[in-house]
Amino acid sequence: MEQTILSPHQQLVDYLVSGQADFYRLAFSYVKNRDAALDVVQESIVKALSKSDTLRETAYLKTWFYRILLNESMNYFRRGRRLVPFPEQQEEPAAPDPDVGERLDLYDAIDRLSLQEQAVIRLRFFEDMKLEEIAQATGANLNTVKSRLYKSLRKLREWTGEELSDE
Amino acid sequence: MNESWTRAKARYESEGAPPPVLDFAVASAVRAGERRRRSRRAVRRSLTAAAACCACFVLLVNASPGFAHAVDAVPVLGQLARIFTVEQYTVDDRDHLIDVRLPALELSGHTDLEQRINVEIQSRINALLDEAEARARKAREAYVETGGEEIDFIPIIIDVDYEIKCQNGQYLSFLVTETETLASAYTQTYAYNIDLEAGREITLRDLLGPDYVEIANAAVRAGIAERSKDPDQVYFSPGEGGFQSIDPNQRFYLNQAGHPVILFDKYEIAPGSMGQQEFEVVP
Repeated sequence: MEQTILSPHQQLVDYLVSGQADFYRLAFSYVKNRDAALDVVQESIVKALSKSDTLRETAYLKTWFYRILLNESMNYFRRGRRLVPFPEQQEEPAAPDPDVGERLDLYDAIDRLSLQEQAVIRLRFFEDMKLEEIAQATGANLNTVKSRLYKSLRKLREWTGEELSDE
Repeated sequence: MNESWTRAKARYESEGAPPPVLDFAVASAVRAGERRRRSRRAVRRSLTAAAACCACFVLLVNASPGFAHAVDAVPVLGQLARIFTVEQYTVDDRDHLIDVRLPALELSGHTDLEQRINVEIQSRINALLDEAEARARKAREAYVETGGEEIDFIPIIIDVDYEIKCQNGQYLSFLVTETETLASAYTQTYAYNIDLEAGREITLRDLLGPDYVEIANAAVRAGIAERSKDPDQVYFSPGEGGFQSIDPNQRFYLNQAGHPVILFDKYEIAPGSMGQQEFEVVP
């Protein structure tokens, strides 16, 4: 039964090759480094392929893979953060809240959100995913995604001083 | 989408513009992934017996009326029941590929029930991880003894995760899955259904009435008949050990609509290629 014209596995391979630029951008947005982003994409692909037998419904292929990719990105980010040399670390925001009156560019402001909030914002606005897809890709339920989205928008509004709607 | 987002997206796209080497990186990762997958298939041939002991199970808790993760949105109800991640870790080395995201239930007012469920989830997952570890070690030894190269042995792959199936004002239903892939995946299901007000587990009888066995059986039979119209969908006949009747402790979860969904493990009523089977019962 596995030998249909395009097996789920083959579909996965095709998808991984065709979506590579999107995957790289998302990984990069977390790790902010070319080699690290390449590592994350490679690691995710190897993991996905070696687990491809667990993918039963190709309808969920995209969110299934994004979940692996997000996990890898966040893990890399967390691992990397512990290894960052001291001077570099100082440049990072010590506290999540920027100084009052300071106005951030929206793109930079996103980096100050929690990792999970960043995922929701990026998938929603940069990858144009539906909320249900984001829920599947982040392994959270729909209400969690909604509340993360609204909380993030509130923070971003505050930090950038811009009117940001979910549209 | 307003202008700020358009600008942010442009930066997202330009700063993360893929370097030319990405093509090569992806192609080589695909090859590596395929190799790992193929070697697992080779293992499957030599280790069918050992590989049969894989486990994947589902714990399920149905509770009402608050639901997890809605704590912010529903300040009062949200306090009643909550599911959160208590343990999250990843092991990724030559011998293991393990991802664990272990949930716990918070059920205010029903500490005993909460504790029982949490202890059960914890001890069940821990026992399964230990067993899987031991099994993988044995399989590896057998593989080497029978002439396999140790370097070709693929790591054990274990995923522990949870998923919330239903959330409305009345119920909370979530599944905890432990999937171990050594060659093929075998699925085992455990179910917990809780009535929050009464502080006890809900049964199919509570949901479907005294005739619950017949009602559920009819739904399962209708589902099998419907799906069997597709020639690719094959079920065991009752004589071959196929479906006859639901079990008194039949596992189920609640779907979005709040309807019970009967769960059958892989191989339980159909060939393994059919995977795990689910049948919604509309009361």
